[in-house]
Amino acid sequence: MGKTLFEKIWDNHTVEEIDGRTLIYIDRHMVHEVTSPQAFDGLRINKRRVRRPDLTFATMDHNVPTNNRSLPIIDQISATQIKALENNCKEFGIPLFGLDSPHQGIVHVIGPELGITLPGITMVCGDSHTSTHGAFGAFALGIGTSDVEHVLATQCLVLDRPKTFEIRVDGTRKNTHAITAKDIILSIIKKIGTGGGNGTVIEYRGRAISDLSMEERMTICNMSIEAGARAGLVAPDQKTFDYVKGRKYTPKNYDELIQDWRENLKTDENAKFDKSFVINASEIIPQVSWGTNPAMTADVTDVIPSPEEFAKGDASQENAAKKALEYMDLKAGTPIADIRLDRVFIGSCTNARLQDLIEASSVIKGRKVSLNVRAMVVPGSQQVKKQAEELGLDKIFQEANFEWRESGCSMCLGMNPDILARGERCASTSNRNFEGRQGSGGRTHLVSPIMAAAAALTGHFVDVREWV
Amino acid sequence: MAGNVIKYERDNIDTDVILPGTYLKLHDYDEIAKHAMEGIDPNFHARVKKGDFIVAGKNFGCGSSREHAPIALSHCGIKGVLAVSFARIFYRNSVDGAFLLPIEIQEETYKKISDGDELEVDTQKNEVRNVTKNEVYTMKPFSEIVSKIIAAGGLFKYKPD
Repeated sequence: MGKTLFEKIWDNHTVEEIDGRTLIYIDRHMVHEVTSPQAFDGLRINKRRVRRPDLTFATMDHNVPTNNRSLPIIDQISATQIKALENNCKEFGIPLFGLDSPHQGIVHVIGPELGITLPGITMVCGDSHTSTHGAFGAFALGIGTSDVEHVLATQCLVLDRPKTFEIRVDGTRKNTHAITAKDIILSIIKKIGTGGGNGTVIEYRGRAISDLSMEERMTICNMSIEAGARAGLVAPDQKTFDYVKGRKYTPKNYDELIQDWRENLKTDENAKFDKSFVINASEIIPQVSWGTNPAMTADVTDVIPSPEEFAKGDASQENAAKKALEYMDLKAGTPIADIRLDRVFIGSCTNARLQDLIEASSVIKGRKVSLNVRAMVVPGSQQVKKQAEELGLDKIFQEANFEWRESGCSMCLGMNPDILARGERCASTSNRNFEGRQGSGGRTHLVSPIMAAAAALTGHFVDVREWV
Repeated sequence: MAGNVIKYERDNIDTDVILPGTYLKLHDYDEIAKHAMEGIDPNFHARVKKGDFIVAGKNFGCGSSREHAPIALSHCGIKGVLAVSFARIFYRNSVDGAFLLPIEIQEETYKKISDGDELEVDTQKNEVRNVTKNEVYTMKPFSEIVSKIIAAGGLFKYKPD
């Protein structure tokens, strides 16, 4: 029997079997300021060194201010955490893209941008959205701080072999401007649920996936974790090879490597997946989340479902939907398009790449943000920011009264000063609508960048298919 | 292990409510612990006692990979979380860092246990005894390697045979 792409990568990286688990070699390790300090403390206490500093890359993103970087950081606790990463990188010899670096940015944006992310590799980071890098046909997974320490010390990780899950997206999107990768992945999570991918590595396949750009594939893989999957990946193709070519850390033997990638990094025709799910892209329209997990999502043309409709007989789901509506201060039966917004956030490792900003800017030219809305754009990296400014996108956003900021995780997780006030409602291009995620008492609706931009202009959700 | 139950009748308790993002800046474990469960239960830190158990539904600990989540619970005195299922990273973090025991129970068991019940957990016999209700439930046994890591006191103390 043949093997799936994931199984091939797994077998290529198996060091040995231990007590029913597998020791897996890790090719690349990204480190950021929030989940690493205790790991470095552990190394110091035990007098260990970093085994492969040359395969480890660090940046600060979660906690960094997104306003003027020439000023000192006001929050002393944040400043201490950022300083700790600088000191740790210096002490252990790890390359760092610091606050003053032109390559600083969200780990999952800069990894691909710098050619650190490559097809066929294993990659980890102390961040659940590491699944993003699977867009290149890599096995990339999020880990906690103990495992960060383990990888720093050994360059290996002990893992259970996950099951394989094929998600096929057939057909083509009816409107490739208005219907985005975000709408595809939200539609998938809506159907399979937040635990639908538990214990599996997802391979996204099918015509509608092949049609996507690398940036769009990253959006899809990024949210694999929101379906509970360990990782998500897409088999590499010519688009992948073209993207990887000539970047800062792209290996010198790139030409040899692509021969190997082309021949080997695909699922064999006779391979079997443990599980399959099929969806047709022609049936997908713009999505808006209404609840407090990403599966609580509806078509923009829908009304908010009643807890009974949503739960379909599952008592705990009904209970969850009731609590969600209460937290979100929404009533069943309200049209999605009638939901009024206070804030709009275009950013995060899900949707803050150049293509996302181009798409968002396409609807705002010559218009203004609604007077009731405060809107901000936080580019995913300093490179994205620079490229966007070269295209004049900063002007388009600023003329429409969007704030144009420095790169970082920002309001995706509410660690830095970019947070929602209690009760504020936000259209957000991020990945999690959990209670309090964007600030205590804040209310998050997950949408695509173009949907967020349109919502900023009108002050409520609109079906962007009517605009583009 | 014995203690009282703090029960949440919810699935998908995510790491953002277990420890909101704003506290990820903190380095001191006891400071982190003061904000445990703050997202859905601001009184948690005041009422939790050493040795207590959390009981919840499916997919406990989903979302972010922050190890601060099990750290926060453990430094409040929580010895184990009994849930119908766990999100993978939370489960791993709990075991690898030896912070608390992630104990998988059946849906019926989750329904039978009430807030405040006194429990005894016996991981040798894979039993959960409800002292208050005088009932005994089974827990899902840990896998071989998880048992060994727990017995060793965490991933770094564990040595393969």
